[in-house]
Amino acid sequence: MIVSIDWLKDYIDIDIPLEELAEKLTVAGLECVLKEAGKSVPAGVVVGRVLDKKAHPDADTLSVCTVDTGSGEPLNIVCGAPNVAAGQIVPVATIGTYLSPDFQIKKATLRGIESQGMICAEDELGLGGDHAGIMVLSDDHQVGTPFSDYFPSHKILDIDITANRPDAMSHWGVAREIAAITGKTFRKAPVRLEEKGPDIHSLARVTVAAPEGCPRYTARVIEGVHIAPSPAWLRERLEACGLRSVNNVVDASNYVLMETGHPLHTFDFDKLEGKMINVRFAAAGEKFETLDHKERELSADMLLICDEKKPLALAGIMGGTLSEVDEDTVSVLIESAYFDPATIRKGSKQEQISTDASKRFERGTDPNGTLAYAQDRLASLILDLAGGTLAKGMIDIYPHPAEMREVTLHADYVTRVTGIGITIPECRQILTALDFEPVREDAASLTVKVPTFRPDVEREIDLVEEVLRINYLDKIPSMARMTLSVAEDYDKFHPFITDLRNFFVGHGMHEAVNNSLVGETTAHAGIWGYKPLRILNPLSLEMNMLRTDMIQPLLTSLRSNALKKRSNIRLFELANVIEKDEHSETGAREHHHLGVLCCSPLWGLNWTEEDKAADIFYLKGVLDDLMTTLGFNYKLKECEGRDEFDILYDIVVKKHVIGKIGQYRRDAFEKLQLAYPVAVMELQIEKLFGWYAPQRKYSPTPQFPSIFRDISLVTDKKLKAVSILNEINQHGGKYLVDLVLYDMYIDDKKLGEDKKALSFRLEFRSDQTTLTDSEIDDVMNKLFERLKNQYGAQLR
Amino acid sequence: MTKETVIEVQKQFEEALRNAPDPRSLEEVRNAFLGRKGKIAGLFSLMGEIPPDIRKSVGQMLNELKENLSGQLERREAEFGSKKSAGEWVDYSLPGYVLHKGSRHPLTRAVDDMLSIFQRLGFDIAYGPEVETDWYNFESLNFPPDHPARDMQDTFYTEGGGVLRTHTSPVQTRYMSAHEPPVRIVAPGRVFRNEAISARSYCLFHQIEGLYVDKDITFSDLKGTIELFCRMYYGKDVKMKFRTSFFPFTEPSAEVDISCFLCGGKGCRVCKQSGWLEVMGCGMVDPNVLKAVNYDPEKYTGYAFGLGVERMLMMRLGINDIRILFENDVEFLRQF
Repeated sequence: MIVSIDWLKDYIDIDIPLEELAEKLTVAGLECVLKEAGKSVPAGVVVGRVLDKKAHPDADTLSVCTVDTGSGEPLNIVCGAPNVAAGQIVPVATIGTYLSPDFQIKKATLRGIESQGMICAEDELGLGGDHAGIMVLSDDHQVGTPFSDYFPSHKILDIDITANRPDAMSHWGVAREIAAITGKTFRKAPVRLEEKGPDIHSLARVTVAAPEGCPRYTARVIEGVHIAPSPAWLRERLEACGLRSVNNVVDASNYVLMETGHPLHTFDFDKLEGKMINVRFAAAGEKFETLDHKERELSADMLLICDEKKPLALAGIMGGTLSEVDEDTVSVLIESAYFDPATIRKGSKQEQISTDASKRFERGTDPNGTLAYAQDRLASLILDLAGGTLAKGMIDIYPHPAEMREVTLHADYVTRVTGIGITIPECRQILTALDFEPVREDAASLTVKVPTFRPDVEREIDLVEEVLRINYLDKIPSMARMTLSVAEDYDKFHPFITDLRNFFVGHGMHEAVNNSLVGETTAHAGIWGYKPLRILNPLSLEMNMLRTDMIQPLLTSLRSNALKKRSNIRLFELANVIEKDEHSETGAREHHHLGVLCCSPLWGLNWTEEDKAADIFYLKGVLDDLMTTLGFNYKLKECEGRDEFDILYDIVVKKHVIGKIGQYRRDAFEKLQLAYPVAVMELQIEKLFGWYAPQRKYSPTPQFPSIFRDISLVTDKKLKAVSILNEINQHGGKYLVDLVLYDMYIDDKKLGEDKKALSFRLEFRSDQTTLTDSEIDDVMNKLFERLKNQYGAQLR
Repeated sequence: MTKETVIEVQKQFEEALRNAPDPRSLEEVRNAFLGRKGKIAGLFSLMGEIPPDIRKSVGQMLNELKENLSGQLERREAEFGSKKSAGEWVDYSLPGYVLHKGSRHPLTRAVDDMLSIFQRLGFDIAYGPEVETDWYNFESLNFPPDHPARDMQDTFYTEGGGVLRTHTSPVQTRYMSAHEPPVRIVAPGRVFRNEAISARSYCLFHQIEGLYVDKDITFSDLKGTIELFCRMYYGKDVKMKFRTSFFPFTEPSAEVDISCFLCGGKGCRVCKQSGWLEVMGCGMVDPNVLKAVNYDPEKYTGYAFGLGVERMLMMRLGINDIRILFENDVEFLRQF
């Protein structure tokens, strides 16, 4: 919201520097910036007088003028405007003036006659849209003076008003704050009304059929007004605050709004059928055309201002076209009312209209003093600006007047909350300046009546804030209490996931952060088959569900990287996946997951090794490392029927599937032309965390030497290596401590087309004794016999 | 080829061996005699010319010679010390192997840095769900239904009556509902706002919530804690300013500004010439919030604060488009 400093001074004396004022208001809760507002006229434009006008000898539409610009010799200016005439005071752009960055006034010859400048129209000076003719100025503009002198800039405060302070959305409200901060006195403009017309009750009638939506409605009527443009002072003040001038009556209404914060509405009284106002809720489906020329279909909880037959306005939100005040208006009915904030908010949300009026009504306006003042103030302004006769009296429907709340503030409570002592008289001084009325007071407490324009102040704590914000916020000392954490049990989850993150960083992966919101296809493609949760009011169809796995968003990251021709794409992410769950209180169930994606060389270009891919085998290695680190045994179980994968496994720990690991088929990403296969993994972190026992017992380090045995076997090519590994592990005897598959060799000529050679290294060791070769030879022989019988393996 | 030839070669070898002063020259000797193109290999290559009847005995003779020379060489090498370091010339100017560098995402890293400071100040870490109930996200935090305060946060609604949490503050009431006072926690997490995605705003961001409720907690404690945090995170010379604000769940409420860490408060583009940066919102826990979780406001007071991670990070890193934080471009990620 914008308030003008000049305007503020009507209500409060300001004698501190404006920068300081802005700073103090900001600390007190009205976050504001001091700015300059106003129209700027280009330098070089001066006030001139047309001395003489002759027709151009060679052009019908042009005239040749002699113009005095106060510089001695009058200028010869060729002008095309139809309205130029001798004797006029006009703005003149002299030679050299830039009217816009790419439009400089130069000496020019127009159809043989030299022109030494330009007489300007409104739009050429950026002052308005009028290009019908040149601007004709009033006589109080002095010839020769810079035209910009007549457009003084206004100092304004641009304030960010928080949702709890409807009272501050006005010059009054800001002035009141300044009063409390600086100790000056806030004063209102006095209103005197001459009610020369007939009794209003003989002219108009008001009924309120919806008192819960409209607790108070007042009306006055003025007959015989003359609608005209507003005087300069009014236009300037409104324009400084960012409002557009319409006509004297509408402007007066906006003026009182900006002054007091109370929104008003003026109706063309002659257009009211039955000469009456009725306030009622809309019928469901009722149609109404608002001032913005939109036909709206209303719901039953929208409040309407109507006459005998038809709706006239969406109460507190926007007027309608049928009763608008325009140049033909002769009589006006002024509405000053209090509407229920929740009703207005619902309506404004529903119709998606937010106006200066609705913003205030939905936050809560003052049903008492401000409402009544605004009514009288507007009536008196209209009488001043547009003339007319004010009907006697005011219609006022207010069955249950709002009482001022009494709230008591205790000095010890102030201390309990703030940590400092503030005396009761100090509190009283601040609260009184903010228009709270002291009722009772002793050394320990103060009871005040809360003004009805402060709907945000209801409780003792709210009074504490008032006192604190005006004077004490920066006076409270910093005193952090340094107790130990008081939680019963320290969080162990964060250290756990931090370790995980560091683990994957250690494996050369980049941590990713993906959007949780995905499109329908992505959500349904989730690898777990979770039912996705839908967002009812999504930003777009690409973001209308929550992700159900980590892999799909990582694939999105893969695609965007591939399109940028990035290489070495190794990503991991730790975050929540979300599953729809009707039985949960939130409608959802969340799982903490870890996703990994690799599409990258294992090493990258190096001078020693041939390039390998960080493929499924790499990721299996990473998984193995992780599980060893965490101390879990796991198994991989092949998943069936996943066509998009070369291979996909369930990762099984303690008989639970806790993850997936796999590699996509190359043709799943054909368009991306990836140089490496896409290997992925996803782990359910919560289960692992639940089982994780960080303090495993240590194993004594080996005391006796190991015996190593290598064995190379020739088997069927399609025999799964894991079968042999399992066989050896199971039957390798109690001394087998390690088994590594260290070579695989395929040579159709030497081995045969269906054969491959696998080489294993076995490590045997005992905790109790040094093993002998013959013991191990025995084991090896039996093992080989087994492998030969079970799998037809031959020694190589 | 005669026996003499063999003896001659052996003599030459032994002399060369005697004259080899260091491992490197020893390697030269090996190459000259035992290498692929060495003298022994040369002799073997002549085998074809040997008459078949004596070929076998000549072969045997050559093999013996080879073994003899190898043995002598090995003994000599052992005298010089380890075989390897002794041997080949290595170009140590070759570059190091190209390894993959992993990296933490700057966002989660910033969250962790902040958390670790609060942990040092005695806060424990707590969590809450990203899909919340209206009660936890709004009502328990003193946002009445149909109150304009709800407009401060554009909300995503989900089927089944939930909302995507618009702030981490619901963790306050969730945690208090489950724990007796005193409580002292920080809660990190993702929050969501239904705002059009642009360079300045994204539909999700990260917050850290703080809460301390106990007997006799005052605004003064709040100020002290925030001040310590800011000094530890932004540097000891940082200046701080509290100004009144409004959050439904705290009363009194304040925003905290710190002196711009880029220009030191002189005014620059990042702080929009003001010299100040807004870093967090805070205040004393509203009695209505305490009541909502059945804490007695007559007995307990507390403070709460919340800070947004992205904004700070963007200012720190000079990022002017928030979307880059969620794109996962590896060329971005590898910078950290």
